[in-house]
Amino acid sequence: MSNEEPWPLLDGGGTTPPSAVEGRCPTCTYPVTAWASFCEGCGAPLLPTAPPPPLQPSGGSTATRRLGAEAQPRSCAQCGGTIDADGYCQTCGTKAPDPRDHSEAAPAPWLAGVCDRGVQHTRNEDALALWVSPEGDRAVLVVCDGVSSSAEADVASTAGAEQACRVLAEQAVGSDDAIAEALVAAAAEANAAIAAATTGEGVSAGSATFAAAVVVAGSPGLDPGIHYGSLGDSRVYWIGDPGSAPDQVERLLLTRDDSMAQEFIEQGMPRDEAEAMPKAHAITKWLGSDATDVVPRTGVLRPGSDGWLVVCSDGLWNYASEPAALAEQLDAAAVADPSPLALARALVAWANAQGGQDNVTVALARHTVRLEEPAADVAAGEGKPIDG
Amino acid sequence: MAEFTSAVYQNEYLPDGGTDVNAIVTISCTGAGEAGKTGAGDAGEIIIVDTSGSMGQANMNAAKQAAMVALDHILDGTYFAVVAGNHKAYLAYPMVQTGAGMVRMDPRTRAEARRAISFFRADGGTAMGTWLNLAKALFASVGPLGNKHAILLTDGENHNETQSQLDTAIANCVGHFQVDARGVGVDWKVAEIRKIAQALLGTVDIIPNASQLGAVFTELLRNSMARGVANAELRIWIPQGAQVQFVRQVSPTVEDLTHRGTPVNQLTMSYPTGSWGDEERDYHLAIRLAAKTVGQEQLAARVQLAVGNELLTQGLVKAKWSADTNLTAQINPEVAHYTGQTELAQVIQEGLAAQAVGDEATATTKLGRAVQLATETGNAEATAKLRKVVDVTDARTGTVQLRRAVDKADVMALDTASTKTTRIRG
Repeated sequence: MSNEEPWPLLDGGGTTPPSAVEGRCPTCTYPVTAWASFCEGCGAPLLPTAPPPPLQPSGGSTATRRLGAEAQPRSCAQCGGTIDADGYCQTCGTKAPDPRDHSEAAPAPWLAGVCDRGVQHTRNEDALALWVSPEGDRAVLVVCDGVSSSAEADVASTAGAEQACRVLAEQAVGSDDAIAEALVAAAAEANAAIAAATTGEGVSAGSATFAAAVVVAGSPGLDPGIHYGSLGDSRVYWIGDPGSAPDQVERLLLTRDDSMAQEFIEQGMPRDEAEAMPKAHAITKWLGSDATDVVPRTGVLRPGSDGWLVVCSDGLWNYASEPAALAEQLDAAAVADPSPLALARALVAWANAQGGQDNVTVALARHTVRLEEPAADVAAGEGKPIDG
Repeated sequence: MAEFTSAVYQNEYLPDGGTDVNAIVTISCTGAGEAGKTGAGDAGEIIIVDTSGSMGQANMNAAKQAAMVALDHILDGTYFAVVAGNHKAYLAYPMVQTGAGMVRMDPRTRAEARRAISFFRADGGTAMGTWLNLAKALFASVGPLGNKHAILLTDGENHNETQSQLDTAIANCVGHFQVDARGVGVDWKVAEIRKIAQALLGTVDIIPNASQLGAVFTELLRNSMARGVANAELRIWIPQGAQVQFVRQVSPTVEDLTHRGTPVNQLTMSYPTGSWGDEERDYHLAIRLAAKTVGQEQLAARVQLAVGNELLTQGLVKAKWSADTNLTAQINPEVAHYTGQTELAQVIQEGLAAQAVGDEATATTKLGRAVQLATETGNAEATAKLRKVVDVTDARTGTVQLRRAVDKADVMALDTASTKTTRIRG
């Protein structure tokens, strides 16, 4: 080609553009909508044959893939919109309460628990796990309190509580020794689960306390009793019902803290004084990748009367450390509603009313001495026989 | 596969009754890959060279050399074309009358294109709108492409078209391809070329000396070929009843995006950002919300980067109402920095415009403020360029005098660089 001649000029248009044919661009056959004014494929101009549809209702575009896995959708308390995976309403932007902040469980009419963030802390690092056997004759209660000095305390406590509960549900069967072994195994496996779920090392490693109880109801083939174990400063109490003779009432702190306060007490300091010491809440044993001793102290109790088994974090017992003080709150709450869920809620509300300085977790199981209640025996006996 | 991440810089705390939330959102891209090689479709590249008579023999020869060098930096397999422009637009390569007006780059087509460029001769006028229209038609002629990018070189004013002809052509091309525009010499108008580059998501700059053309073209093509992510959108969700007061890109350059959005749904707008290489861009957004009571928290915006319908990253802009004035009175340093940089770009352009029409008082005030802002925000490039246009008596107070003998290239360089910003984070 000589440079004296003009270069070929590509005609840029000027005519009316064609319309889509059967939903496709007539130039390149790329799929287009009837209201498209140009082809998304080749960019060729198109003459629309239909008006665009109205804008979609509020919320993300349906074609849009949301970031992260979406749990079951929750509704916004403010406007009724959908809560996004990021924790805010898709319509009005209101922050939804974090489900981790408050959770409740009531797997049986005689077993319930509440786990709450409390008032002062911005994050709930406590965790609660409850389990009841299908026959209703065995229950597991686990409370773990994430150690606040670790970044992943909330992850640690959840992993530990869930794993310990699984292990106890499977293994805490049989003789007292077998159940005590299961408690030791549960702590060991919870420790491994925490190490696997957290990433930090050293003092910032995710770590948690451990308090667990196994309730064996009095039914054929099972020796009734309360088995417990703990590590750190979460506790198991037994609050027996007041009987005819007040001096026979059993109100017991079953576990012994692994804490500086406990060491002061063992050196002879009164409990109220020891628990007010500056370093009282420093624990000497815990679960986590930097833990050195993860064998819980275990025990078994065969109550002489009906009563309440209480497993709790220090967020509760900070305000009612002595068994009698805890019993007082339990009795006060039972006036309104004696169901375990109502009592657990009431105890958490009470702790928050005292200041809620820490996360608060309370798990309660009603334990009855069933030999004295033939009706209950019949009810339990209607099911299939239980292997002991 | 490219990975996007985002970070939000803001003071979340609003005083009782407070409604306005400002935030800087940084979006970073890594692993972008090469244009046309990432499965996002083939890339297309068009080189548009001004062949008007004003180019003269020296500039024309330099431009021909630069265009040939540019061919070497277009990756094999990329669709390309070469357009020669004067008062008309000519398809210089490929030499076809009909059908696809672009061909894939390979050693043979590269050699043929070089030969076609060697025939360029400076002649005729300037009508950049027709160049853009031809480029659009060429891109459209080859079917679906991912990245579509052109470099446009001119040396003069757009004499052979009306303003509205150029504006119409630019509007026709918006969303179809990106243009990096360069002016050689000092006889072109910054505002005219900036208008093209801003609308078509590209950059503008002056090439004072034709000998620098080859290096500039090389850099532009290298950058373009390193943008493996095509057609990314910035999406901004705001709560029902809220308003976007403005949304600007503030780094690497200031570009107001406020009125470039298209609705995705009732609460989400999409703003085009073009193609991405491995880079970071900062966006400044201001949202007005209905005030809530002290202690409440809510989301003010979700800022997302999307390619197609896939959201690749999301930053959350929040609002927390507080009675603590220690919290609410703080201005986030990033927000403050970019507010200053945006004003800097504005006062430079206003100052130069005032100077151009002989309003020395306004020019002195505006450029004085520019010197003050450039100093405060640590923008060394702007400071250096300003000092070629004004004599600085006191940088901190913005006391300056207009220089009497100023090189026109320095004025244009200050103008084109006015939107470039500096960052305050490493």
